[in-house]
Amino acid sequence: MSEGPLSRVTILDLTDERGIYGAKLLADLGANVIRPEPLTGDPLRARGPFIQSTDQEKQSIWHAYFCSSRRSITLDLDSAEGSEQLELLLTKADIVLTCPGAFGVERSKEILKNKNQEELIFIDTCSFRPDCEWADYIAPDIVAGALGGQIATTGDADTAPLKNFGELNFMVSGAYTAISALSALYNRREAGSGQRVEVSVHECIASCLEHVFMFYWYGEAMEHPDGKVLPRRGSLHWSNAYDVMNAETGSIMVTPTPDFDKQLTWMIEEDIHDDLIDPKYLEPENLRLRVEKTMDQLRDWVATKNAEDLFFEAQERHMPYGLVLPIEQVAENPQLVARDWFVPYQIGEHKTLSTGAPYHFSDTPWKLGEYKSMNEDQVDILNEIGWDS
Amino acid sequence: MARPLEGLKILDFTHVLAGPFATRMLGDMGADVVKINSLDRAVGANDPIHPYYIMWNRNKRALALDMSHESARKTCGELCQKADVVIDNFSVGVLDRWGVGYDTISQVNKKVIYIQMSGMGDGGPWSKFVTYAPTIHALCGLTHTTSVKNRQDIGIGFSYNDHQAGLHGAIAILAGLESRRHSGKGQRIDISQFEVGVNFVAPSLIDHFSNRTITEPSANDLPYDEVAPHGVYPCLSNGEGIKGENWIAIACMTNEQWHSLKSLLGNPGWAEVDSFSTMSLRYKNRRELDSNIQNWTKDREAYQLMDTLQQAGVPAGVVQSGDNLANKDPQIRDREFLFAFDELHGEVGQTFGDKLPIKFEKTPCESYVRSRSLGEDNQSVLRDWLNLSPEDIDKNKSEGWLN
Repeated sequence: MSEGPLSRVTILDLTDERGIYGAKLLADLGANVIRPEPLTGDPLRARGPFIQSTDQEKQSIWHAYFCSSRRSITLDLDSAEGSEQLELLLTKADIVLTCPGAFGVERSKEILKNKNQEELIFIDTCSFRPDCEWADYIAPDIVAGALGGQIATTGDADTAPLKNFGELNFMVSGAYTAISALSALYNRREAGSGQRVEVSVHECIASCLEHVFMFYWYGEAMEHPDGKVLPRRGSLHWSNAYDVMNAETGSIMVTPTPDFDKQLTWMIEEDIHDDLIDPKYLEPENLRLRVEKTMDQLRDWVATKNAEDLFFEAQERHMPYGLVLPIEQVAENPQLVARDWFVPYQIGEHKTLSTGAPYHFSDTPWKLGEYKSMNEDQVDILNEIGWDS
Repeated sequence: MARPLEGLKILDFTHVLAGPFATRMLGDMGADVVKINSLDRAVGANDPIHPYYIMWNRNKRALALDMSHESARKTCGELCQKADVVIDNFSVGVLDRWGVGYDTISQVNKKVIYIQMSGMGDGGPWSKFVTYAPTIHALCGLTHTTSVKNRQDIGIGFSYNDHQAGLHGAIAILAGLESRRHSGKGQRIDISQFEVGVNFVAPSLIDHFSNRTITEPSANDLPYDEVAPHGVYPCLSNGEGIKGENWIAIACMTNEQWHSLKSLLGNPGWAEVDSFSTMSLRYKNRRELDSNIQNWTKDREAYQLMDTLQQAGVPAGVVQSGDNLANKDPQIRDREFLFAFDELHGEVGQTFGDKLPIKFEKTPCESYVRSRSLGEDNQSVLRDWLNLSPEDIDKNKSEGWLN
């Protein structure tokens, strides 16, 4: 099999939760990514969930997922030896991915201060910009999501505002981390020099809020009744034309878009169209009314249906309904199974499956590399960097 | 100073959000992105004067073609020959029908990175299924899990997966370009937006494959780790109803942070009981803990409280709306993250943007050109990419396929 598209790139991964998804994305694309750990082990090995086992040593599923395709070395940064090893690792790297406060980051900055490593790309994925009033704020995912604008969008009128499941805000900053590294690499290949790049988690989240700034800037011009800020309102989309509805059995995301006429035809077949064939609904000033009336009719109708049957019937009609699936049904999804998407993965002695490729390259395929135990690659890496003990 | 991707030529057949977001980023970083507007598809949120379109299509040039004309399709083919990257997020097969599918274009442009971002990917029993982000959220488990117990109708309040599909599209393009630099060859990249989405619940899926765990909605808890307090709490309102609500997120990830919070609370009796004495016990009794914290936060002003908590080393953040981000956020203000475009839009007037969240030291990306009207850059694109003269362009226009 061919190598991955990044097989000629060496990366030092000094990230924490804020950037680690980016390191994973680059590693799974074939880059040689080395993740140094302290002698006590990567603190992220303590993140749940864990493989259930009677062994004393807990194997972290979280760490295994986010640290796929990496090579592991431990460094004693309290010793001169460890610092020298870090310096050699920096010398060999094309790209260093960092998050302030993560293992090895401050020492790396000290080392690089005295070196002229013109080609090195140094990515700093920070919560807030270092010159900002909030620079020292501590922001785990839920705090980052609150300040970045995500949490205000999610939840319902009768619930608190909600964070996204897991740490999806950091998966956004992680993706931007990978983009910044690859763009700087592209530029280095063209211009010859590396550079420092700052990625602000706060701005990353704010840049991925779909309608939020559109409402702020254009809400009044759009004559939307909520004006500049759309309050949280369950799954009802800003356009009012997508909503999750509870069926007699299961739940389903329903939308009459993109072809209202197609939806209306179906409603006529089902005799649930009420007065929606009235030409008044085609007048531009009645567009909102048409959407709301259609959704109301659909809600009553969906409540009498089996969600799964309705989903397949809608898709048969090329309508983008979506069945609400719990995780255990995603695990058995026929589309993913048919594409042989889940891939075998080994975490310690435990054999399992992991998620597959987010992109399929025709010539240089994505590949999930092995998950390594702590310092598994110690000897090989030290040899490669020319460390002579 | 040049931006990092200057010189890169991208032909953009994308629509709605996922694809346009990918090419917007690449345009922000200096790529020459030419957006093809097929006249029959430039409606609704894809109409260049719709605010939604304006949001995702800055830093691109606009070429409008009537793809029902053979000459338009021929011109499209010629542009594809010049492109480093061709990208679309239509359903599988649309570009093939226009004569610019991968099999055709890769014969005449061996170096092209050709990326297709369909809902389900090319292949599999659901490959023809139609999806938008809310469809994907439902199918990949994010709607089920982003919720409170016994509710299936909440989910993420915006099109998260569209943004992420765009980010992953940009990563794939840049990785493909790195590979091409060494191999000299382009390639095809197939993205299933569904598969991108399923990755976001990966730890839960591996937990299920390994331990048969059933993942429940986790509301504001961390789904896999026992951390408490870890929630969103009400603060002093400044108006009636939901619009007047103010909230703050507080998360004590360590014992030290909990002790700091307790000090700020005044070490009340309720916080000193055994049931809150360890992280594990706080997690077990977190609803009672949340109730006590809420009693403390509800009469306090959110920003002042955040500042007090952060000064004491307790992670806390105001739940900011778009209005708060625009008017109360010092980083957004100091960096001028939100801005008005210098040039007015010919049909809409003043338009606005948010900056790329990446700051390059040597190749800063501070150049922002407003979203364009339909066919606004026909002349410059056909001149720069195909060396057409103004006379040739006028002739094409008179034939009716160039807007």
